[in-house]
Amino acid sequence: MNTAKRVLLLVGSAKQQTSTSEAIGTCLLERLHPAGFETETLFTHKASRSDEAMAELIAAVARADLIVLAFPLYVDCLPYTVINALEHIRDSRRSTTNHKDQSLLCIVNCGFPEAHQNETALAICRQFARETGFTWSGGLALGAGGVIHGRPLREVGGAARNVMASLDVTADALIRSEQIPKRAVDLMARPLVWKWVYLWYGSRGWRRVAKRNGVLKALGSRPYQKLI
Amino acid sequence: MNAVILDGSLENNKVPDTVRAALTDELAADGWTVDTMVLRDLNIAYCVGCFECWVKTPGMCRFNDDGREVARRFIQSDLVVFLTPVSFGGYSSALKRGLDRIICLISPFFKQVRGETHHRLRYNSYPRVLALGTMPEADPESERIFCRLVERNAINVHSPGHAADVFVDNEETAAVRHRMHAMLDRIGVVS
Repeated sequence: MNTAKRVLLLVGSAKQQTSTSEAIGTCLLERLHPAGFETETLFTHKASRSDEAMAELIAAVARADLIVLAFPLYVDCLPYTVINALEHIRDSRRSTTNHKDQSLLCIVNCGFPEAHQNETALAICRQFARETGFTWSGGLALGAGGVIHGRPLREVGGAARNVMASLDVTADALIRSEQIPKRAVDLMARPLVWKWVYLWYGSRGWRRVAKRNGVLKALGSRPYQKLI
Repeated sequence: MNAVILDGSLENNKVPDTVRAALTDELAADGWTVDTMVLRDLNIAYCVGCFECWVKTPGMCRFNDDGREVARRFIQSDLVVFLTPVSFGGYSSALKRGLDRIICLISPFFKQVRGETHHRLRYNSYPRVLALGTMPEADPESERIFCRLVERNAINVHSPGHAADVFVDNEETAAVRHRMHAMLDRIGVVS
């Protein structure tokens, strides 16, 4: 009988290329795999495209001992594809009983430099766990996610050192089937770079891309301006 | 004055008629023109996080579907109403699918609001926001999260006024109407 623990990474970013959510989640899986966890990764946006894909996601959730949900902050909370997946998971669990013990860990990243702007999203995730019977392993919030920009964390350099340290502490707790400690939360919430540096580079980045797209002077366009 | 109702009812979890009727009656009695978008019936692609609405087609999403209409009506209204079953303290997936498409209404650039970073305005004026959640049973934690979420949204969409409340599905009509009027009065929508 296979007794290895199964961990499912649900990536809630809808980006076509590698996302910061996936980069962080994958880094955590890399820490759990050597401890004997069987790992699997699915994307909520792919599940949103068909009933078959959603059924596959629900089946994977049912198999898992630990679910790691990693997503970007969209309009102060979870992206549509994540809420849609959570609603489907809730509905499926209503129609079945005798769920095994399962845990949920959530990792949210936002484009604002302040990690605390993710708090409402984490509160929603925690409420989901409460309503659906998952054990809440904890929530990690990261600000200035644009610094990582979808790169594997080991390629980000010193700016990601606290993120990786947080994932070390998180993995240790998950391996022991414990709730993640405050130290993991605090490390993840530490600023990746100085706020003013992030904002300056961020603004410059928008202008550079706009210039490349030939719309630098149109950045302030108001296509839906009401005609009086 | 015009209002748009973004109805986030789900196929298997709809906002009760008592709440919808109390809202539309109050607004109509005060002379508002009310338009309703039932989001689950519309063709709205989910936001893919490409940011092209900021740096390629500024102010407009790349997807030419009903999501553009959600954004247009949002910014052209004096009042936007989120009508939604509460999902884990937040909005339903149907409502969120539409709301994820309104980031084209703000600027990619940043400003500081009470020590926090937020996006700058794109337009000169933004609507007031009223959020009405519904649940089968009362749950204080869900209600707290819901009201907090609306408060956070109001900052990010530069709303000049906002209010939020959660109704229980079988709440009596008179109670719903009383609370509805009080809320609309509080944000200056009705007198």
